[in-house]
Amino acid sequence: MLYRTAGQFKSSYVADQALFPVRQDAILLTIILIFGWVIFPMTASEFTFQTLLIPILIYALAAMGLNILTGFAGQLSLGTGAFMGVGAYACYKMVTLFPWMNPIIAILLSGVFSAGIGVVFGIPSLRIKGFYLAIATLAAQFFLVWLFEKWAWLYNYNASGAIQVPNLEMFGVFVSGPQAASVTEYYIVLFVVTLLTLLCINLTRGNLGRTWKATRDMDIAAELIGINLMKSKLTAFAVSSYVVGVAGALYVFMWKGAAEPNVFDIPLSFQVLFIAIIGGLGSIMGNYLGAILIVGLPVVLNVVAGTKVFEISAPSAILLVALIAAATFLFWVARNLWGVGAALGFGVVTLVYGYAQLQGFRIDSALIEHINVMIVGALIIFFLIIEPHGLNQLWRLIREKLIIWPFPH
Amino acid sequence: MKHFTKLATAVALGTVLGTAAIAQELYTPNLAYRTGPFAATGIPLMNGQADYMTLLNERDGGIGGARIDFEECETGYSTEKGVECYEKTKGQAIVTQPWSTGITLQVLPKTNVDQIPILAPGYGFSPMADGKVFQWAFNMPAGYWDAADMIVQYLESEGSLEGKKIAFLHLDHPFGKEPLPVMEMHAENKGFELLPIPVGLKEMQNQSAQWLQIRRERPDYVVMWGWGAMNAGAITEAVKTKYPMDQFVGVWWAGHDADLKLVGEDGKGYKSISWSFPNMDAPVMQEIKERVIDAGLSQTNEEEMQGVFYGRGLVMSMILAEAIKNAQENFDTAEIDATQLRWGLENINLTEERIAELGMEGMVPPFSTSCANHTGHSGGWMLEWDGTKFVKASDLLTANVEGYSDLIAEASAEYASSNAPWEMNEECSATN
Repeated sequence: MLYRTAGQFKSSYVADQALFPVRQDAILLTIILIFGWVIFPMTASEFTFQTLLIPILIYALAAMGLNILTGFAGQLSLGTGAFMGVGAYACYKMVTLFPWMNPIIAILLSGVFSAGIGVVFGIPSLRIKGFYLAIATLAAQFFLVWLFEKWAWLYNYNASGAIQVPNLEMFGVFVSGPQAASVTEYYIVLFVVTLLTLLCINLTRGNLGRTWKATRDMDIAAELIGINLMKSKLTAFAVSSYVVGVAGALYVFMWKGAAEPNVFDIPLSFQVLFIAIIGGLGSIMGNYLGAILIVGLPVVLNVVAGTKVFEISAPSAILLVALIAAATFLFWVARNLWGVGAALGFGVVTLVYGYAQLQGFRIDSALIEHINVMIVGALIIFFLIIEPHGLNQLWRLIREKLIIWPFPH
Repeated sequence: MKHFTKLATAVALGTVLGTAAIAQELYTPNLAYRTGPFAATGIPLMNGQADYMTLLNERDGGIGGARIDFEECETGYSTEKGVECYEKTKGQAIVTQPWSTGITLQVLPKTNVDQIPILAPGYGFSPMADGKVFQWAFNMPAGYWDAADMIVQYLESEGSLEGKKIAFLHLDHPFGKEPLPVMEMHAENKGFELLPIPVGLKEMQNQSAQWLQIRRERPDYVVMWGWGAMNAGAITEAVKTKYPMDQFVGVWWAGHDADLKLVGEDGKGYKSISWSFPNMDAPVMQEIKERVIDAGLSQTNEEEMQGVFYGRGLVMSMILAEAIKNAQENFDTAEIDATQLRWGLENINLTEERIAELGMEGMVPPFSTSCANHTGHSGGWMLEWDGTKFVKASDLLTANVEGYSDLIAEASAEYASSNAPWEMNEECSATN
């Protein structure tokens, strides 16, 4: 009913093969884009930019890079953090060696270096598969981080061994470094992420994407039907590392402002891998959903824990209740009982917490952090139990059910 | 729809946050780390800092009539959480206490834009001493370069260093590399051989390779720049390899009682330079015991309270409180802002009398700051582990700052030029 596709006839191949053949999908995407490009930048506070919007976009981009390799081409990689590092260090060297270079060009070019390194470390994938390949990429992870520590030329012989982003100008506006405004940084991140998302969607839909998927599903069969496995695997490594490298450059230049080598160590790789897995392997949108859950949720929970439940202003309360109701409804459509249970549980916890606050109950910051870790962990398990194929699959299910709603089948 | 919903929730929460209540107090948040891999060393420091402010609130009703809101924002020593905390608190904060070197590195370049002073007592970037360049950053009472200088002075007092070999065991991280320029300078001038031995973050707890190297090289001294789990790792490894403890000296962050209690008597003779000392006879300790700990307002305990780190936490908060008081007196207002606090931090004058008046005799050396000198260079004592606790093993040592003032000027000029446009304090006329 809400998502009725009846009556949307396609009368040409072009219309049938459009990016969004269903009209509602296109409308939804337009709304999201309006939010991303207009409403968020106009309303967000500095805190929202720096802790939610910018990091979610950057992590989503990194996960998308990994997803191309692991989700689409089926090559497991544990070296994402290091490839992000290659992008960041390449970008740092470029802007310090050639100060006249346009920062956006530098960021986009830095991916080329990580693509090259990615191809080199992708060569073992021609011989080994699965866990064995994961170990080979793990070697890249250790080697590259070691290189960032030991090769002083990379960080311009700084005494601290860290790279620090200089103030970069573009058309008289600071776009990077401490002088840059958050909204400028956000727009640059959004521009690059939108561009690369568009590229990735089309790549995965096209010839290259189909060869990747064939390689993933069964490499011998793919070879039999004439797919060049070497080309398929190495292009996957190249494209994936390119996107990951650009994400790494954005990570340092548009968000962190400074980075020491161990930032790119294995925890970062795992974080990106978790985003890709929870979002859904082999999907583009899943990366965003995963990043929202893994990067955004802890921040939101921290804010919620510090907010007095019964003291939030009326408009925000109404907005929140409406949003939660909408989410619950969608969840109910997809998963009947789970949806009701989740909504009830959420309401009870909120009311109990609000009541406890009225009684003078305060949690100190360290305890909030512990609870936060537990909640995020529990939610990850929860989502993986109800939908092992990730949040993207959950959304697809909701969409399918909405199309036939209110009928159950 | 779900995608949209989640993003919108984030924004809604952002607006909720923006309307959060504004405190009627002086807000001095602390980016604490009571969780994560460094929690063991963080907790006593955080407790000390918080307890001193609680004491002021309980005893005097705050400072100059304004209560201190010493809220903690938990970072777990992670840079990302640190930045999150910084963004969350900077709206109302009059000071930032960043704690980790990584967080300091990220916040430092923003200080000129946000105009909030950074207070990093005894840590951070050594060239922050140059107050003309680093207008908003303070690392009093002493920086890492002071520490390196004092350690070399102390070792020299045991006999000439000519031809000797000093191993420099350090965390392979900006923090551990920090004193290298001064150590190298001394190695050249005094004719000793410096042997830097890095310990990677992943090898902190298993340093057998490093100590094998030390055993092979047989250095006359081992100087350690360690933090967190690295210290306990190094000390237990030193005991295991029977390295003479009286030739083993650490920086002030490597002087944590709990690390040495692990080895007890075997650690006897281990030394650590320190600008603070837990003087249990000082009146302030008694007051804290009565008004804060016995009143149930603290998370600390009897044993922790006697440690070096708890005492250091008290001193840190005392320095901040002094700065607030200075600013309040100078600007004649209780509710000072960040810029006024900066003036307060630049005009600290802690004399022996003032320290006694605060009830902190022997807990911190006297020092003073100016707009050109943001470190104070208080000097410190060499503490020695006697098997159960740390005792003072030397008189007050003071760093010979002239020896490396060129290095400070060079490093700060380089920082300013690589962060151009970087605003400096041109009005400051003080020379030291």
